[in-house]
Amino acid sequence: MFNPVSSQAQSITNLFNLTMLIAAVILLLVTGLVLYVSFRYRARPGEGEPRQIFGHRNLEIAWTAAPAMLLAVLAGLTLHTMRLSDPSIPSQTQPDVVIVGHQWWWEVRYPKSGVVTANEIHLPVGQKLLAQIESADVIHSFWVPQLGRKMDAIPGHSNHLWLQTDQPGIYLGTCAEYCGTEHAWMRIRVIAQPPGDFEAWQQAQLQSPQIPSEGDAAKGAQIFQEKTCVVCHTNGIGPDLTHVGSRDTLAAGVLENTPTNMTKWLKNPQTVKPGSNMPNFNLSDAEIQALTAYLEASK
Amino acid sequence: MTYPIPLVPETSKPLPSLLEPEGLLSWVASVDHKQIGLMYLLASLAFFLVGGLEALLMRIQLGTPNNTFLSPAAYNQIFTMHGTTMIFLVVVPMLVGFATYLVPLMIGARDMAFPRLNAFSFWIFLFGGLLLYYSFIAGGAPDTGWFSYAPLSERAYSTSTGLDYWALGLLGVGVGTVAGGINLIVTILTRRIPGMNLRRVPLFVWMVLVNAFIILFALPPLNAALVMLLIDRLLNAHFFTPASGGSPLMWQHYFWAFGHPEVYIMILPAWGMISEVIPVFSRKPIFGYEFVAGSSVAIGFLSFAVYAHHMFTVGLGHPFDFAFSAASMLIAVPTGIKIFNWIATMWGGRIRFTTSMLFAASFLIMFTIGGITGVTFAIVPIDWQLTDSYYVVAHFHYVLFGGTLFAVFAGIYYWFPKMTGRLLSEKWGKWHFWLTLIGFNLTFFVQHILGIIGMARRAYTYPDLPGWGTMNMISTVGAFVMGLSVLVFIWNIIVSLRRGQPAGDNPWQAWTLEWATTSPPPVHNFDRLPPVRSRRPLWDLAHPENPDWKHGK
Amino acid sequence: MLTEKNKLGVILFIGSETIFFTLLLLAYLYFQAGATAGSGPTAASSLNPLTTGLFSLFLFASSYTIWRADKSLARQSRRGLLLWLLATIVLGVIFLVGQGLEWRHLIAESTTISRNLFGTTFFTLTGFHGFHVLVGLVALAIVLGLAWLGDFNSPKSSAIESISLYWHFVDVVWVVIFAVVYLRLLL
Repeated sequence: MFNPVSSQAQSITNLFNLTMLIAAVILLLVTGLVLYVSFRYRARPGEGEPRQIFGHRNLEIAWTAAPAMLLAVLAGLTLHTMRLSDPSIPSQTQPDVVIVGHQWWWEVRYPKSGVVTANEIHLPVGQKLLAQIESADVIHSFWVPQLGRKMDAIPGHSNHLWLQTDQPGIYLGTCAEYCGTEHAWMRIRVIAQPPGDFEAWQQAQLQSPQIPSEGDAAKGAQIFQEKTCVVCHTNGIGPDLTHVGSRDTLAAGVLENTPTNMTKWLKNPQTVKPGSNMPNFNLSDAEIQALTAYLEASK
Repeated sequence: MTYPIPLVPETSKPLPSLLEPEGLLSWVASVDHKQIGLMYLLASLAFFLVGGLEALLMRIQLGTPNNTFLSPAAYNQIFTMHGTTMIFLVVVPMLVGFATYLVPLMIGARDMAFPRLNAFSFWIFLFGGLLLYYSFIAGGAPDTGWFSYAPLSERAYSTSTGLDYWALGLLGVGVGTVAGGINLIVTILTRRIPGMNLRRVPLFVWMVLVNAFIILFALPPLNAALVMLLIDRLLNAHFFTPASGGSPLMWQHYFWAFGHPEVYIMILPAWGMISEVIPVFSRKPIFGYEFVAGSSVAIGFLSFAVYAHHMFTVGLGHPFDFAFSAASMLIAVPTGIKIFNWIATMWGGRIRFTTSMLFAASFLIMFTIGGITGVTFAIVPIDWQLTDSYYVVAHFHYVLFGGTLFAVFAGIYYWFPKMTGRLLSEKWGKWHFWLTLIGFNLTFFVQHILGIIGMARRAYTYPDLPGWGTMNMISTVGAFVMGLSVLVFIWNIIVSLRRGQPAGDNPWQAWTLEWATTSPPPVHNFDRLPPVRSRRPLWDLAHPENPDWKHGK
Repeated sequence: MLTEKNKLGVILFIGSETIFFTLLLLAYLYFQAGATAGSGPTAASSLNPLTTGLFSLFLFASSYTIWRADKSLARQSRRGLLLWLLATIVLGVIFLVGQGLEWRHLIAESTTISRNLFGTTFFTLTGFHGFHVLVGLVALAIVLGLAWLGDFNSPKSSAIESISLYWHFVDVVWVVIFAVVYLRLLL
């Protein structure tokens, strides 16, 4: 939240900073008063009872009215910032990206181009994209603080979120609603690119990856089919892996995408992300080597 | 014939036979509000130690990034049990225990209106808590968080029986709590001695009264949600399963319709304790009694109107969100004025900083911090960023620990002498206080920042991002300092029970009726009662030249 | 009245239970409003307001009989008290039997609590009501037993007044459930 990269996030951070300023003043006031009375009116030996005062009606009215007025101002600012940070969505608008929360990964689809990927969301800078947030199982929550608010992914109830930034870069986020065993490793990676780069990325995603016809990668392609990996990983049960080689991370952020880590994952996913829905296939080292080559070549 | 409560063991006294009036069985069969109150306090203290242990385990796991001290399955059970324990088995029963012990004494009554119902409330609470903990050895503890959102809590996603124990245990605790609420209301409304009208009862009694009404109307939504969940899980029904037309959001509405008032249930009696402690150690009456009482009544009503501020990120629409935002800001007003009233009570006083007063004075600051972050959550867009992050974990620990628990510590140091006949050691008390203050702030202040920079709550680990490891380690160190403070506290209790200075009837020269009898009180509470013509009968007795009733108080 | 502890206690309890039943009813109404065609049995397709209305009359009548029991107590007519209490219990039992028969019929047609949301909400709502009736019957039986043994020697008994209040409450809950679930079908 300290580094907003969108106008939505900026509006929230601005209001937050103002609120923190007010909060600091109030806290200083209260702390100051408590410390003051604690020292000033400390009992000294030999003193009798102090003057017994029961109250003061005007004081009560004053310190009721003042906070109330302050809060009224904050309420107005709240309304204003709600509009800035969560602009309304004209009806009939089609989403630019559909983000579906699964236990414990994010399905990412671009309906207008047909691109399907997982966990890493590419965006063109300088454009406002409408994201549709859904869930395939339990309640998740999509949260990338630098971009703005979080939005819950609720099964049976679609939500919408504007995603936009003017600054190219990588912005990290996470699932923010406890969704089971591996909630901690349902991370989000938003990659904002200049429009040209984004287009290039989209085009690459729509092509089939170039897999060599011989060697480990070719063997891996075959294993991918024979060992039924393809069944889960193209039917939405597991993340789409068509271009997994071009991603920065694996398994929703738990590992950096390197051949070593890919091998580690395939050896036993349950040691990397215990409880995840990918079982241990007890693959042989040779099979893992081939699959790793295949997946890393799937750029 | 008076039977003092056997809490001050004398040396070389043989263990009483189970069948004698003073024996262990007398406790199990007791319907005396003082014994029941003490059992509540003892049980909640025991659960506090368990919940604290759970917290330490969590903090060890979170001390470094990518840690493997606890598996995710273990961590998730522990954080669920930590939250459930602290809320249902520690804070609420502790406050109910104090109310049970003190309210009849404060109004000059001999016992609660329904002594047997009182005993029932305690035992069903204990049974519910034990049932909940039984889950650990019966297939696994619940692991879906203390508010257990659907459909994660449905059998499709949570096959272990932990959740069934959770729901059943909480139903038990819930039934006991409602019974306790009824008992307290009827006691306060029908058992006051002549002269003790509602404008003269101690503020603790006012808070308990408002609280009991909140309990009466807030627990039913929880009970409804729990039975609906159990029916879904055990009878294959469809309340919360979206696949068959059920509504996960209904769980949230019902749960939070309970859950928000619940947090007021957890703070109101604490405010009552502060309202007793601060005046006595400042040697002045509470400033603005009517406003402190009246603002609490307002909070009682408003507490039901703010619940959906826990659902701002669900997507219920701006108008709905803003309505609850406005109500949540409104409720800050009656809350805030109390802080001013307490400070004004200290102003012009002759303040004695006993351990009790140290906790009460720092409560004012700790609770203000928690209250401020609460207001930030009323601001919808800020909530959109920070809910479900460590910022909210910091917020609620500041109000529940820095707030309620600090007030409870103040109350324990204040009323322990009345309950046991001995004073707690001030020396150990000061150690307890400073370790707690330092440890608590060390643990939780950094969590505000962790939330702001993006750390989500309920995560068994986190990536090695800049600053995350360092801040988490600070928090973990703080947690261990708190653990140490608790050990000091327990030590203080043990040592003081054995060798504490005898307290006498009124060690603090306080003014409310519980101090007009022996420490501990006899079974029938009072041999004689002073006349009640004001809020401070004992002040009037000690100051016949300047009694409160001359000022119309 | 408000200063008598037993009656105050029961009134507070009734207040709490009112919220509980309201929430179960709201769940029923919410899901009924959102039900789509083809999602299985509904109130309209499974329930019979007339037969249910018939055994409901017995429950409504029991409010009258318990009122007569109160009056008998005030007149210190032990015989009246015993008979009217017994009548109340019998009427309550008939209601529960009727409810049970209705349930049996529905279950035989596969309209169960797990069948669909109508089943879920209907059985939950009527089930908890029936449970409250049962608890009331147990309380009434205890009172009957004590009366039989010679208790209640004064014209006023807060115990009986409190249990009567509870019984009337249980009746009113059924009036509301019957109206909302069954009578609406006749419209």
